[in-house]
This record gives sequence, structure tokens and C-alpha cells, in this order.
Amino acid sequence: MIEVHHLYKSFNGQGVLEDVSLQVKKGEILVILGESGSGKSVFLKHLIGLLRPDSGSVSINSWDITRMTEQELLRIRKDMGYLFQEGALYDFMNVFENIAFPLREHTAFDAETIRMKVYNILKLIGLEGVEQKYPAELSGGMRKRVALARAIILDSKILFCDEPTSGLDPLRSRNISDLLHEVAKKLHCTTVVASHDIQNSLRIADRLALLQSGRIVAFGTPSEFKISSNMFVKEFII
Amino acid sequence: MRLLLDLGWHWVAWSGRAVCFLWDVLACVVRGRIRWAETFRQIYEQGVHSVAIIVLTSFASGVVLALQGYMAMSRFGAKEYISHLVGLSLVRELGPVFTALIFSGKAGARITAELGAMSVNDQVLATRALGVDPIEYLIVPRMIACFLVLPILTIIAEFVGITGGYGVGVLEAGIPGAFYINQTIRAIGYVDFWGGFAKVFFFAIIIGWICCYQGYSTSGGSLGVGKYTTKAVAFSYIFIILSNTLLTKIILTWWG
Ligand SMILES: Nc1ncnc2c1ncn2[C@@H]1O[C@H](COP(=O)(O)OP(=O)(O)OP(=O)(O)O)[C@@H](O)[C@H]1O
Ligand SMILES: [Mg+2]
Repeated sequence: MIEVHHLYKSFNGQGVLEDVSLQVKKGEILVILGESGSGKSVFLKHLIGLLRPDSGSVSINSWDITRMTEQELLRIRKDMGYLFQEGALYDFMNVFENIAFPLREHTAFDAETIRMKVYNILKLIGLEGVEQKYPAELSGGMRKRVALARAIILDSKILFCDEPTSGLDPLRSRNISDLLHEVAKKLHCTTVVASHDIQNSLRIADRLALLQSGRIVAFGTPSEFKISSNMFVKEFII
Repeated sequence: MRLLLDLGWHWVAWSGRAVCFLWDVLACVVRGRIRWAETFRQIYEQGVHSVAIIVLTSFASGVVLALQGYMAMSRFGAKEYISHLVGLSLVRELGPVFTALIFSGKAGARITAELGAMSVNDQVLATRALGVDPIEYLIVPRMIACFLVLPILTIIAEFVGITGGYGVGVLEAGIPGAFYINQTIRAIGYVDFWGGFAKVFFFAIIIGWICCYQGYSTSGGSLGVGKYTTKAVAFSYIFIILSNTLLTKIILTWWG
């Protein structure tokens, strides 16, 4: 369970998050919607402690992570997956090594098991045969999917995805969203997704939040969202 | 005045962060969190990519030293002492300093550019998100590699430089080869060698520290990578030259 209380964050005097509070229940998929520049990525980075808030708190399983040292944070991040908006794959490693990296770092699996796991996940994301390629040789969408594979390979109980479907064609977006949904539900995984892909978000989310100029302006289930009278929600969904 | 104060404060903050950074690195090393496979990869990369240019420059400086020495000393009829001149200048001063300068321009710039590109592409952030300490995974191997590679390169540079001097001494000045070698060995004392060589370890720490720190704190996209890389090389040069002056004074006073 993730609880965010009165989160404030500004860069160089410009407020990005202004009093954001929300809760994510265990095993739930929460999608944060919002237009470009509304602070979705900044918010996600707070949830995993990559950014520190100016004030407010973030607690995960009732541990306040804003008070943890970096070393403590490193330890708890081993049980979390994080997909960066730009993928952030290691460009000195090929696809196989990138996906295998978390396994090699945090598990005691032997080389054969790791190989099996990586090949399985490559099949899941529809990228068989690219394991020897380097990130620079992939398309943006392929990089994104490899990065998603790296984020979910440890079967973490908590997963943060920054725009998992941006840069993908509609069919692929649908597939990847479904994959995310499937993985999250199978592992009973608490998931927070940042996105501006409305259709897929409505399909996979248990609840949605709309972020607008640093505030959560709407919060609810997909069906509540569809009939919402809130101006921003209406504009955003249409 | 206001600007000066700001600048001063900026410098203090910057140095403070740099010291914290070094502290984190040392803490990692002391706890034995050293990734040797990655370190060997870095040793290979830094060493192999710098060795050619270092061989070339040190050979050339050995030759030039010998040529100039021959000119000057034959006026006094003391051309046998070319070997002393070449050997001592290389071992006491030129070998360590030249090698350090070239190394920081080659391997140091490479380190900063690599780490800088990783910083601006979120790869450093991703390392943290994956629960791996970037200091341990990215920085410590590079700094240790620096610390091990630079002394080796210096030995190579000194050897090659002396060989260059030998070539001039034998071919140009007509000094018998065996005599030249013998003279060189007798000229370079224990103190001469170590007085120069001790500085190398210090330079290695300076280069590793500055270049890793600059790369690690790079921001601002590809422009930032360029900016921080040139800054790293410039700072390395300045600090090598300044600390060399200081170290030379200290070593000469204490050791003669
Ligand atoms: N490191 C930073 N330094 C300064 N400003 C920043 C930084 N990171 C983000 N911002 C600012 O915060 C705001 C929100 O950025 P963020 O990346 O969270 O947007 P986003 O909602 O993820 O947008 P997109 O959908 O385009 O990814 C932007 O106005 C941006 O300029
Ligand atoms: Mg974003």
C-alpha cells in the first residue's frame, strides 16, 4: 500500500507538485493521467525516492521513504520495478544483459535459469531475436519494451511505469497494456502508471487520477471517470 | 561584491559536494564493495586506449631532451652526461607529469563523457531505481582503474623515453651503447625514482576524482556533457600542475 500526503515539489521556484495526496491500495492498478508537463514523471520519481519532496511524505507499506537514507532506499528498491519514460537502458550492454541485470544483481539464479527467464520475457513483449542488439540499434518503441521487461523481470510486488505505451503503435499499445494488466493481476502487484493514453488507461486501471497543474483534480474508477462532470476530465477524455 | 560572494559560496558548495563524493567512494572501497570484473574492464579500456599516445609522446620527449642535451653539453665536452640529463629529468619530473597530463586528456575525458552521457540519459538514475549503488557500480571501478593504470603507464613512459634518449646518444652523439646504459642505471638513484613515482599515485587520485565527479554531476543534455568534460580536463590539468609544484617542493625538502 502506498500513501502520499501533501506532497510539494518545486524546481527553481517553480511549483510542479502542489499538495498531492492519494492512496494506492495493495494489488491495485492506479493510472495517473495528465497532459504533458503536468508533473507525472516527477510524481513517480517521488514514489521510489529518486526525488525528495520539499514537504509532504510518501509511505510504502507504512514506511516513510522520504526519511530514508539512500542506502536504505537502495535496499527497498530491490523489490520494486521502475520503467523510465525514456527507457534509460544501459547503452554499454546489449538487450540480453540489460534485462538480465536485475536478476544478476539481486538473485542467485544460475546462468541457465537467467537465460530462460530473459528469453521468456522477450517472447512476452514480442521481441525475440534482438537479444544481441545494443539499445542504440533499436527503435524507440523497442527500447521502451526492453525497459519494461527489465522493470518486471524480478516479479516485484510494486511496479511504477512512466508512459509504458508512448511511442508504440495502437496495436502494440494495447498489447503492452494488456501485458501490464496481466502481470500486475497475476502477481497481485501494486502498480502506478503514468500515461496520457486514455483508452488503454480506462481499460486496465482499477482507479485513475488526473493531475492538473500540480494537483489531483479528479480521482475515481474508470466508470466514474467516464461520467464525470469535471471540466478537465471531460476535456481530457474527449 | 554580491557576485563575488555568490561565486565564493558556489565554490564552497561545489568543493563540499566533491569531498562528500570522494568520501562515499572511499567508504565503498573500505567496505570491500569492489566489483573486480568491472574494474578489470575499465583497466583494459583506460590502459589500452592511452598507451599508444603515451609511448609516442614520451619517446619524442626522450629524443628531444637528448638532442638539446647533446647541443648544450658538447660545448663543455661533457656529452657523456646526456644519459644523466635524460634519465633524471624523465624519472624525477617529466615522466610522471607528462603521463598524468596526457592520461587526463585521454582516459579522464573518456570517463567524464561516458558518465556524463549516462547521467543525462537517466542511466545513473536507473541504476539507483534498480537498487544498485551507482557509486559502487559505476564510479569505484573507474577510480580504482585510474589508480592502477597511471603508475603502469608512467613506468612505460619513462622506459620508452630513456630508450629514445639512448637512440640519440648512440646514433647521434656516438656514445657506446653499453656505456650509456650503465651511466643511466648509475645516475638514477632510489630517491630519484621514488621521488618522482610517489607523485603519480597522487595524480591518479586527482584525475579519477575530478573526472568521475564531473561526469557524475553532469546535467543539461549533450551540451552539458561537452561542458562538464572540458571542465574535467581543465581542472585535472590545473590541479596536476599546482599539486606537482607543491609535491616537488615537499619531496625535495624532505628527501633531497
Ligand atoms: N530536474 C528538473 N529540473 C527542473 N525542472 C524540472 C525537472 N524535472 C521536471 N521539471 C519540470 O517539471 C514539470 C513536470 O515535468 P514532468 O516530467 O513530470 O512532466 P510529465 O507530466 O511527465 O510530462 P510528459 O507527459 O511530457 O512526460 C515540467 O514543467 C518540467 O519543466
Ligand atoms: Mg513524463
